[in-house]
Amino acid sequence: MPLGSLDRSPPPFFKQGTSALTKLLFFSTLSCGLMFADLHYNIVQPARWALSLIVYPVQWLALRPVAIWDQLDDVFESKQDALNAVELSRKKLLEQSVRASQVEQLTLENNHLRRLLELRERYPTSAIAAEVLYEAADPFMRKMILNKGATHGVQNSSPVMDDQGILGQVTRVHPLVSEITLVTDREHSIPVLNTRTGARGVAFGESGGAPLLELRYMATNADIEDGDVLTTSGVDGVYPPGIPVAKVVKIERRADSVFARILCESLARVQGARHVMVLEPVKFSLPGFADLPLAPQPVVKGAK
Amino acid sequence: MIMPRGQQLLLPVSPLFMLLTLLAAFVLDMLQSMSWLGNAAWAPDWLALVLVFWAIHQPLKVGVGISFILGLLTDVHQTSLLGQHALSYTVQGYLATMIHRRILWFDVPSQALQVLPVFMAAQLLELSVRIAAGGLFPGWAFLLPPVLQALMWPVMTVLLLAPQRRAPDPDKHRPL
Repeated sequence: MPLGSLDRSPPPFFKQGTSALTKLLFFSTLSCGLMFADLHYNIVQPARWALSLIVYPVQWLALRPVAIWDQLDDVFESKQDALNAVELSRKKLLEQSVRASQVEQLTLENNHLRRLLELRERYPTSAIAAEVLYEAADPFMRKMILNKGATHGVQNSSPVMDDQGILGQVTRVHPLVSEITLVTDREHSIPVLNTRTGARGVAFGESGGAPLLELRYMATNADIEDGDVLTTSGVDGVYPPGIPVAKVVKIERRADSVFARILCESLARVQGARHVMVLEPVKFSLPGFADLPLAPQPVVKGAK
Repeated sequence: MIMPRGQQLLLPVSPLFMLLTLLAAFVLDMLQSMSWLGNAAWAPDWLALVLVFWAIHQPLKVGVGISFILGLLTDVHQTSLLGQHALSYTVQGYLATMIHRRILWFDVPSQALQVLPVFMAAQLLELSVRIAAGGLFPGWAFLLPPVLQALMWPVMTVLLLAPQRRAPDPDKHRPL
């Protein structure tokens, strides 16, 4: 048997390095500290940035098979599928051209009315087109990763929408990618307006397993029906008003509760969205935003 | 290493191979979450499996420290709490180091049964940390990955020990 074919180096007899128990204590304390800092302070963000730059090449590598598969899928798309798609887009174009012809007239009318009421002009918000890289693998929350980050000009807390409606909000910006929290996440809430009745409310992500929203704090006898469309109301200064958010799918009116339990389905594709728009938060484009205090000022008791 | 009677003597392990398998497991984890499983709670964690495997077979090379670092990277990839996987991998690395002297004297199915508590402890730790931090309960399917990982243990034993089970003196009949 040739030399070197067996592990002949004797195990270290006295010097075993740091004991496993010491390492366990050190590293678990470190990770507990990191988790605490991540939850309560914003100081680990630079560490996350640095680590994300290490992870990014590996992610790029892992996304290659998916990209190749998509390309192959495109190549072998059947003729019938392509024809169907053309037919569908033609129909859509027709519908939209009818609406578009009305828009000019409405804009003109709107401008006149606004000037009449001496309201401010509505400020056009800028938008960045982005693509969803993947859904975050953390089963405890609902997030997605976009392929645009701080280097592309994505700002924290920007609203994100797809072609159907509001998808969520940017909650963490890395140099090359950014994370969005979906409207169906439990931690997420969005002020909405019922387009049929004009009633305002707040929709929260559903805390159960299903990807739904819950419209909370609506009275049991409130005027709301299945199929009502909820749009953003714009009172929060983040989401531009009038973008569709969700559709009411289930209303439970219970005798023992003051509030009805109203479940809504997100209009945006919270599962399987691909092309999205990152909008600028509304408040950034307001005139005099720089002069506004960022946080509400505490009221000093007794002061005049 | 002292081994049970009748087992094949293993060649020395190549550190490069260990590194490659860890990287492959990391890529596999990413691939399954990014392409087809999304954030399904039952998705097995291949990186945890490979880490425990090397911590048991090569405790001097892979242990608590490497587990911690790969845990941090997993946290950044999954956008979970920074330190959550680091903590669970650290604990499972420690548990694996603790049982490595005893476990290799058993046959492979019994080994699989004994690594199950290690994976389960790490998973329960992760669950309790996230519930304490205010995450939503992902459903009972979250307890499935440790079982799947333990079931994959025999496969991993065959795959990851294959380079060490090559012939020490290759000739034309045994080219590998």
